[in-house]
Amino acid sequence: MTGRNEQHPADLAGAYALHALDADDTAAFEAHLAESERARIESAELNDTAVALGLAVAPVQPSSALKANLMSMLASTPQLAPLPRAAGPATTDAAASASETTPVVPPVASGTAPSGTTPDSPATPPSSGSAPGDAPRPHLSSATERAEARWFKRPARYLLAAAAAGALFVGGSLFGQTLNNYQFESQQAAGLAQINAADDSQRAATFTAEGQEATLVWSNTLGISAVLVDDLPALPSDQDYQLWYINGDGPASAGTFDSTGNGTAWRVLDGTMHAGDQVGITVEPNGGSDQPTSTPIVAFQS
Amino acid sequence: MLDLMTADSAGDLASAAPATKEELLARVALGDQSAFGELYDQIAPRVLGLVKRLLIDHAQSEEVTQEIFLEIWQSATRYEPTRGGASTWILTMAHRRAVDRIRSSQAGRDRDTKIGIRDLAVAYDHVAETVEVRIEHERVEKAMTRLTQLQRQAVSLAYYGGFSHSEVADMLHIPLGTVKTRLRDGLIRLRDELGVAS
Repeated sequence: MTGRNEQHPADLAGAYALHALDADDTAAFEAHLAESERARIESAELNDTAVALGLAVAPVQPSSALKANLMSMLASTPQLAPLPRAAGPATTDAAASASETTPVVPPVASGTAPSGTTPDSPATPPSSGSAPGDAPRPHLSSATERAEARWFKRPARYLLAAAAAGALFVGGSLFGQTLNNYQFESQQAAGLAQINAADDSQRAATFTAEGQEATLVWSNTLGISAVLVDDLPALPSDQDYQLWYINGDGPASAGTFDSTGNGTAWRVLDGTMHAGDQVGITVEPNGGSDQPTSTPIVAFQS
Repeated sequence: MLDLMTADSAGDLASAAPATKEELLARVALGDQSAFGELYDQIAPRVLGLVKRLLIDHAQSEEVTQEIFLEIWQSATRYEPTRGGASTWILTMAHRRAVDRIRSSQAGRDRDTKIGIRDLAVAYDHVAETVEVRIEHERVEKAMTRLTQLQRQAVSLAYYGGFSHSEVADMLHIPLGTVKTRLRDGLIRLRDELGVAS
């Protein structure tokens, strides 16, 4: 399929506008878009044409429950950081898809961070958001400065940014769970937002055995916590990362997750956190274990 | 609401005029929930109409519509008015989400059996609720008649059916390369007939 496309990537313009391409062809066409102004113009026009087809469909009135549900979810649903201005050549749609598949710019650069555990010793400043690709970023420096200022004042705000972008990553790693994927993402994002919004929100930072920056955020009043790890290596398909709450009763599983190897992996832990619990991550066989079967790659003391 | 807002996009909020979708979206980007509610009222029936056209099943279509509106809430910060109107942005997202759902789940298989390989002419099962929609419908339907039959079938199957180009090729028994050119030529013709230009 792709062989043919390489000869005439422009032929894909129609199928692209109609969302009729598979991932490989989409990538091939977007590469073509990046190179050709003319292709971008045509693509935008064909996209508008497709929308005209959509506007010709008879509207259907949603149930009133749908709006009520949505409105109740807003407060706990983080919004994404805006893309830097002049964010590159992709069409709106392409940019939107890219934002879902591109790992987040790591919020905390690894390697240079102090190993302290207080919020007052943050690592290097976070990047300006989750801009996909190599788009020019003329405003990066000022945005970074602003982000930095914010980071020092209010780390929780920053973590929200990580949450919004990271949710997509976590969700992607949890296919095969019984929960609807998007529902899971929403719950995860909501959980992290709740922790960050809590009056007693706390955080601890440390490093994994292999040197990746790892952060635990939690709220004792809510009894929930979340772990964020930068650039956590991807595991073979027969293994998962598993989270544990560890206290006097021994370790209790708090869910599994996966990592793509770059960006920030994060997950709100299942179950209830009790004040003073330790939180650990181990590598376990796919699907997780009842009890840890390996040495934790990282452990936190809350 | 996240803070990484550029000075420009923070914009002025003082306008008291009836809000356009673009204005509402700009307020949504600032975390304004009532603007989100207004925007929802304005465009949710169109979103659900389109999604249901592809997914057929009502409950599932509402579910996907909910996802779409959450995505609107989350990514309103990324909407760029210079690239097109709010309806365009939202309906593009809606179509993509509906297609994603079809591709990612058993829903696609179940749906196929319901649709069969009927000719997916311009979707319009009901009497139009508004003049605006009816006019738009007639305009598109008329433009559609200017396509060749093969172009029309390919475009309809892809857009209203949510089928991938290789599925369209299988259904119409034509080579994939031909489908690609039909889809492109068909959309270009529609673009010209509808007077769409960016």
